[in-house]
Amino acid sequence: MPYNVAVCVKPVPDPKHYDRVTIDPVKKTITRTGIPTLINPVDKTAIEAGLQLRERHSGSVVAISMAPPNAEEILREVLAMGADEAYLLSDRAFGGADTLATSYTLCHGLRKIEALRGHAFDFVLCGSESADGATAQVSSQLGEWLGYPHLWNAFAFEEIEEMPEAGDPEKKAFSIRTKMENGYMEWRARPPFVLGVARELNKPRFTSVMGIMKAKNKPLTVWSRADLDGAEDAFLGLSGSPTQPGEIFSPDLKRSGKLLEGSAEEVVEQIVAVLRSNGVVTGD
Amino acid sequence: MGFFEFSEEQKMLRKAIREFVEAEVAPKAAEWDEKDVCPVELFKKLGELGVNGIFVPEQYGGAGQGAVARAICLEEISRHSAGLGIALMTHHLGVYPILQFGTEEQKKKYLPDLCSGAKIGGLAVTEPGGGSDFSGQKTVAEKKDGSWTVNGRKCFITNSHIADVTVFTAKTGEDEKGRNKLSAFIVEKGAKGFEPGRKEHKLGLRGSVTGDLVFADVSVPEDAILGKEGAGAKIGMEGIGEVGRAGMSAICVGILRGCVEEAVKFANERIVYGKPIAKLQAIQLEVAKIRADYEAARLLTYNAVGLKDSGQPCANEVATAKYVSTETAVASSKRLMDLMGGYGIVNEYPVGRFLRDALASIPSGGTSHIMQIIIAANTLSGFQP
Amino acid sequence: MSKKIWVHAELADGKITGVAFELLCKARELAEAMGDAEVEATLLGSGVEKEAALLAEWGATTIHVADDPDLRLYSPVTYVPILAQLAASHLPDIWLFGATAIGSALGPAVAARLKTGMAAHCVDLGINGEKKLTALVPSFGGKVIGEILCPNVKPQMASVKPGIFVKKPPVPVPLRVEKLESSVWKNGLDLKGLKPVNVVRRPPEGLPLNEADVVVCGGYGVGSVENWRLLEELARRLGGAVACTRPAVDEGWAEEHCMVGTSGQSIRPKVYIGFGISGATHHVCGMNGAGVVISVNRDAEAPVFEVSDFRAVGDVNGILPLLVEAVKPKISW
Repeated sequence: MPYNVAVCVKPVPDPKHYDRVTIDPVKKTITRTGIPTLINPVDKTAIEAGLQLRERHSGSVVAISMAPPNAEEILREVLAMGADEAYLLSDRAFGGADTLATSYTLCHGLRKIEALRGHAFDFVLCGSESADGATAQVSSQLGEWLGYPHLWNAFAFEEIEEMPEAGDPEKKAFSIRTKMENGYMEWRARPPFVLGVARELNKPRFTSVMGIMKAKNKPLTVWSRADLDGAEDAFLGLSGSPTQPGEIFSPDLKRSGKLLEGSAEEVVEQIVAVLRSNGVVTGD
Repeated sequence: MGFFEFSEEQKMLRKAIREFVEAEVAPKAAEWDEKDVCPVELFKKLGELGVNGIFVPEQYGGAGQGAVARAICLEEISRHSAGLGIALMTHHLGVYPILQFGTEEQKKKYLPDLCSGAKIGGLAVTEPGGGSDFSGQKTVAEKKDGSWTVNGRKCFITNSHIADVTVFTAKTGEDEKGRNKLSAFIVEKGAKGFEPGRKEHKLGLRGSVTGDLVFADVSVPEDAILGKEGAGAKIGMEGIGEVGRAGMSAICVGILRGCVEEAVKFANERIVYGKPIAKLQAIQLEVAKIRADYEAARLLTYNAVGLKDSGQPCANEVATAKYVSTETAVASSKRLMDLMGGYGIVNEYPVGRFLRDALASIPSGGTSHIMQIIIAANTLSGFQP
Repeated sequence: MSKKIWVHAELADGKITGVAFELLCKARELAEAMGDAEVEATLLGSGVEKEAALLAEWGATTIHVADDPDLRLYSPVTYVPILAQLAASHLPDIWLFGATAIGSALGPAVAARLKTGMAAHCVDLGINGEKKLTALVPSFGGKVIGEILCPNVKPQMASVKPGIFVKKPPVPVPLRVEKLESSVWKNGLDLKGLKPVNVVRRPPEGLPLNEADVVVCGGYGVGSVENWRLLEELARRLGGAVACTRPAVDEGWAEEHCMVGTSGQSIRPKVYIGFGISGATHHVCGMNGAGVVISVNRDAEAPVFEVSDFRAVGDVNGILPLLVEAVKPKISW
């Protein structure tokens, strides 16, 4: 049975370089000059999960992103990884969106794709969080807007036997595990549902040269505000965002840093002395 | 837009390969060097990415790209492991003549596995008598009862102990002037009498295997000849001259990029007299020289492979690129070593490896002297600005 | 009418999670800053009377409870509509969630139902001049801290990781439970599409990281699994717990649950000893609450030294075995 999979992706500045992020003291804006943009790392896990579903069960993988126009490059990479189609929702009207407005916009993008394709998505997959903002809220909120059950931080995911009492009997049920403190939670779910996936779910494939060449001819559609006919202005962009950013600053975490000098033995002696003076019992 | 710029696909390719290399190559490169082991298991993964058959048309299982794309792959891999770089580049040397001179049957038989990573390729030309005395080869193939019997020894052969499919040259007669007539053949690992011999203990480009290949009454079927009888010199020279040297040049561009990146890192992190040494002009001058070397080598290399892709003659440009890239890689890694002071000779830093790899790149595919002779010949006979 | 600050009290294996008490303590502070405000709690589960009483001891004046066998395990299908319904009828001004595995999924879903804003993984909360909640939220791996406000919509929601706020002594108030009857929320709810099956816990060995007075933390520079065993031995001998950074997880030396930082736990031990840790901001954010920070690193320029009280420049291989030897095993009675 073929599955229709949607994967939400976000372009983020490369997390390897976050120590280079600075704040402009005058304009109070975040400066990230020279930091390359890439696919949010755990979103690749979501793409890989979608591709594996397609490989096992047939179907299609559609990528969607709400981002500035230059995110086309990132979506082309998602196509090169193996997605069939990509949609970029890009408009000034979407700018300044918090997670609520972002998930609302994505919801309307997905609804429109469903209408065009003539069938609903079985799975909507997201990375559990973005590397830059790391709010980890979009997948759950997208589930709410879509009206689908949603699970967050899924690290295991497989098709199981029937779950006869629920949903569309044509569709199989899935066993899903989500991360918990010191353990995990086990679920049974029948599509459609939204999953925020954790990096442990799989190891995303590397992009092949053949994939890059195929991606050239895959459809990449850019939609503006006008294309999302069903969406209401009140929920889009800055005006649709109940949260507002205030001051920003860099935390000052500096400590005095007394140097422990001498041979390894002498350094160890000093460490033990620090431990004792702080009430840590060190035996003897 | 610069005079030279990658296409969108080439930029994507570079990003994809870089991502792979940072994950799968960079963390292990120092270990391969130290233990001098070739990560053969990576060939399978590189094959899946399309790197092994990067310039092979899709109908034979390749990625359908060209020499520029190949140079990008080699630069990215050699940025972290020039040893793996030369193993891959030599694999290409085995693939290229089959693609260029093989029959349809030979292409169908060998290329798909060589592209997928199921098999590793190699090229065996050099003999103890010398690499550049091409026609003085002593390995002999004699035709008997519908097959060739080969006897001889090849040396300094990269991938000698790991290649599954090796293209080699052997003397198959003499022309009317008494000069050796060379022919090229394909031989598979395991052929009776065909064995790898001694393994060299190299200064640099460790993590690639270099050694002897010994032919003792090896029977090679008649249809294993590549191209026409007597075409061996052309096949060998074209492979080494255009593919091999361009590959070595790209490998050294990778080493040079490593020098730039390590120089930046070190200069910013090393604090002397209370500030990073990057603030010192003496250091800045060295960084500038390393950067200039990288840019020069890069432009020469990609210009040469660009010519190759457009079907133009490029032997002189490739020789120039190889000469400049390898020599500046030596000079700049030495510079970086000086810049780093005592840290430069500590093996936890990669700069010592860069220098050894750069030095070892000079003789591979023809020394700098040979490159200069080619350039001089081209210049003296027909320099057209 | 006085304002209301709600704290969602999450249950783990039938017991209220520690972060709920931390949040109740912070909520009391916020209530004071707002002037006229009550601290209340929400509690969902099966057979939760005893736990509700505990919330009153920690100062929750009203406990909004939904108690039903179907609520034994968390599911967004049940929890989200119930909480949304409670908020719609009682209109809290502020609502705090623990940024736990469940809270991080539940909170934003409830916010979406209520079409309100939620600040995620806050490192501090305050009340501004307009008596609104100001939440401090880290981004770019902790490199940037930004203020998040939700000035025009209620409730103003926020999630906070365990270990960020300090648990203070209880201030008991009379127990007052307001129960939402199952018939009210169960009507028309489709519980079939998604079923929680069970929760499997793999309790970590030794002391929980967030309760340890001494934390021995290792990074990539620890270098080998043998050294990692020594690190664990050191923690054992000091009566502390082992923590790690992401590279140590990637190397397979340590498990993810002991990772400290923006994507792991926040800890505030009395003493933190770090070995072979570079000091990337995303890790430092999780440990800068420590009383004393001792760092051992071969690289004298490692950024971790800037956030350390004591710097030992040296090889882990040299110092760690000696230190393990120097702190002999505690006598067990």
